[in-house]
Amino acid sequence: MSTLSPGALPISALPWLVAAWLFAVGLYGIVTSRHCVHLVGCLTVCQSATYVLLLGLGYVREAGPPVFYDHPPGTPAVDPVVQALVLTDIVVGAAVTALLLAIAIQVQRRRGTLDPQALRPLRPPPPSAE
Amino acid sequence: MSLSETLLPVAVLLPLGAATLMLALAHWLPPRLPKIVAIFVALAVCAICLGLAHASLDGPVRHWFGGWTPDAAHRPGVVLGIGFQADPASAALAAFCGLMFSASFVFAWGYFDTEHAHFHVLMLLFLAAMVGFCLTRDLFNLFVWFELMSIAAFALTAYPLGRSALEGAFTFTVTNALASFLMLAGTGLLYARTGTFDFATMGEAVARTGSDPVLTGGFVLVAAALLTKAAILPFHLWLADAHAVAPSPVSVIFSGAMVSLGLFGLAKLVAQVFSGSADVTGLVHGLLHGLGLATALVAGVMAFAQRHLKRLLAFSTISHLGIMLTALSAGTDTATAGLLLYILGHGLTKGALFMVAGTLLSLRQSADEIVLYGQGRGLWAPALAMIGGGLLLGGLPLGLMHGATGLIERSASAPAQAITTLATALTGAAILRAAARIFLRASGVPGPELLAPTEREHEKPDRPVWLMAFPALALVALALVPPGAALPFLGAATARLHDPSAPPLALPEGGSVNLVPLGLTAALFALALLRRRALHRPARAVTRAERAGFRALQALHSGLVGDYVTWMAVGLALFALASAL
Amino acid sequence: MTPRWRLLLLALALLVLAPAVLRVALTLPAFGAPTAALGQTVNALAPELRHVANMVAAVNFDLRGIDTLGEECMLLCAVTGATVLLRGARGEHDTARAGRLPGRPVTPRADATVLVCRIFATLTLMVGLSVALHGMTTPGGGFQGGVIAASGLLLLYLGEGYAGWRALVPPPVLVALEGGGALLFVLCAGLPLLAGHPALQNRLPLGEFRDLYSGGLMVLVNAAVALSVAGSFGLLLVEFLEETREAGDDPISDEEDR
Repeated sequence: MSTLSPGALPISALPWLVAAWLFAVGLYGIVTSRHCVHLVGCLTVCQSATYVLLLGLGYVREAGPPVFYDHPPGTPAVDPVVQALVLTDIVVGAAVTALLLAIAIQVQRRRGTLDPQALRPLRPPPPSAE
Repeated sequence: MSLSETLLPVAVLLPLGAATLMLALAHWLPPRLPKIVAIFVALAVCAICLGLAHASLDGPVRHWFGGWTPDAAHRPGVVLGIGFQADPASAALAAFCGLMFSASFVFAWGYFDTEHAHFHVLMLLFLAAMVGFCLTRDLFNLFVWFELMSIAAFALTAYPLGRSALEGAFTFTVTNALASFLMLAGTGLLYARTGTFDFATMGEAVARTGSDPVLTGGFVLVAAALLTKAAILPFHLWLADAHAVAPSPVSVIFSGAMVSLGLFGLAKLVAQVFSGSADVTGLVHGLLHGLGLATALVAGVMAFAQRHLKRLLAFSTISHLGIMLTALSAGTDTATAGLLLYILGHGLTKGALFMVAGTLLSLRQSADEIVLYGQGRGLWAPALAMIGGGLLLGGLPLGLMHGATGLIERSASAPAQAITTLATALTGAAILRAAARIFLRASGVPGPELLAPTEREHEKPDRPVWLMAFPALALVALALVPPGAALPFLGAATARLHDPSAPPLALPEGGSVNLVPLGLTAALFALALLRRRALHRPARAVTRAERAGFRALQALHSGLVGDYVTWMAVGLALFALASAL
Repeated sequence: MTPRWRLLLLALALLVLAPAVLRVALTLPAFGAPTAALGQTVNALAPELRHVANMVAAVNFDLRGIDTLGEECMLLCAVTGATVLLRGARGEHDTARAGRLPGRPVTPRADATVLVCRIFATLTLMVGLSVALHGMTTPGGGFQGGVIAASGLLLLYLGEGYAGWRALVPPPVLVALEGGGALLFVLCAGLPLLAGHPALQNRLPLGEFRDLYSGGLMVLVNAAVALSVAGSFGLLLVEFLEETREAGDDPISDEEDR
């Protein structure tokens, strides 16, 4: 088991830490965002953390792409399964972004603002009669 | 291949095919056709899955897509393809989804007249995703159906295009998209360690590996995603907003089936993949149990303090999900059986209640119990459904939910039982209070519910009342079925959720009739309706203190997406703390 | 919560999470030396079993084809949802006509612009087609090709102007393309069942390795995905661009106005 002292961090852990960092930065952006479109951008930053993680998990040192057109089958190649997963991930991202932006357009029309701090579903109650 | 093996993928492909065909021809189809097709497709899915549930009593039904069976690679531990597997519990739950969708389609008849087939296309894709989620035995495939379910749900929430609907859908989308990223990352970690996505093979690898931070981390990420879908504290904040603003036929599905599927998926993963990992079972028995109790109590109190009917029902759903999570985390066979039965009983009841709320939104143009005071006169069928549903949630000693509670409480500790009973009573009393105000003109000065958020809205009027009341009454009637008849099937379902070849379990016959929850419900109900204006100084002080408490709780459910995401991070931190200790 | 409190809470949560993340990162298989055997098994077996050179395509369209069907449906769902959301405000009736913004001048385009746009739109379409068709042999495939082909539509818009462009791409046709492609995928999955084989089983002749036709059923699935993705993205472009045309008047008013 490796020690946890920062000086001794093996370089091979770097991609996973980058993924975690990206996710944290994205969360910071979402939490402090003052504009919905900016918020959607931060969401995609969070998502790119998963790209980094998945592609990193499939990387094989000194191996080529898993496409055996120029080099014959049998040459070392990286893991094709995680690449297929990332393709799915990208489609998920595109789908979610399209929906969120469409929602944002309608919110802008109805509320005249896209500040997440001002958007609350169900308004506060009418002043009480008491 | 046997007939049931052939039919297994059809349960997913049929709704997908119907949806894509309707979309392709959307421009040219007569407006009534999609509605009829959708009802029949949902019924067909229900029938197929019932057949699968029956067939799987003799052993699990499996189907490997493309013929890529686990031995296709001729290497042990390497599964090239994706398999579906119907065990009695999964197939029965998929059939339940089909049933809820058909009821919802009947209820929604005439709701969406103007649009092309879009509503039904989205709903059928939603159905296919839920069935696929139940039947798959591949972790990444589970993620795909989970995400399809989410995206269909996002689109359907925003469907009414009202202000609240859009804002609720935005919060819902952001939080659940984050959850799906967590799930994907978790799936990646588990793949990196075990080299497979297949549940059974992964389970073997997990049992071999033993204690390992990567496996625990993968589980935590996947579990956080499923708990977000299942709305467990502190991941639950999105639900009340989304369920309150979605169109009523969609809320029926959300509360009745979608959220409890999250817990079912978690139960399946814990049983089939992680049963060999002591770290994970420790987390399940410890942290998840605590979170379940906290969810039940907090959401129960919140439900009691709501005035908007759909929001009230949404909080009641969260509270009951907490109770279900305590059953899941208990981990005993009777508790798991109770969980399965509870999912059905709660889904049927809650579906019916959301239909009543939809009926009121359509016929009386509001869902606010204070605005609707006395407006429900003459609507005897919805009144019947609502009072029946409220009593069932509040612990009426009849029907599926009571049987399920009996099973769950066999392995629950006394304090846990006290908390779940209180939560049950709070939600039941809240619904009965609203029913009494709306339909019976019962009085009582509003308490903390006066401060709750609400919305002026309505849904498409001039729909026939019987078409809305019939499915609601039918669901309540189904929820009243005596649980004894289902026990043999339930025994087999519980045993095979864990191990496909296990012999059926002998479940204890219904225990004593427990009237405590119902009594507590009645007491809280009376308390709400006998409340009078606070005139004396001590009474005023009590009211003020009560309001301050509720106001703080309401402030936590602020509706701001930034708050919700922060609480999700806090939830993850709780998992990190619990697994480090 | 005020933003300051929220940020404090988030920082606290992330601080608690940091050691856990570090522990997981240090126990993961080292970067560049994965231990999962599945990927290398696919690399070793799929070229022989399916006669395709692109392993990612083999995973996407054959080994894990049902995942791709689900993913295709996600896109369909999102585009349908976005269409409903965007059209809801305009009303459904006039989707076949181009929207107009009164008072916005129609800028005349130079002949050179039109010509260049037409040439490059055609080229983009060809590149998209090529990327989609060569999905079994080289990087690419239905998804990538479909997106490239659909993005060529933007060049046409630049060249032809909005009204001319809308006449070229009627939404009902795009929807039919989108739904039809996905339906073709469902049929590819379902038809083998009728003959008593597992769903999505590859029963077509596999073709030659490194050939344009290689992979049997995968070619058909790939084409289905390409059609559906091109339709989806085309529709998305039309619906979002239509948004820029709309004057502020809004047929669906908010609740309180009724």
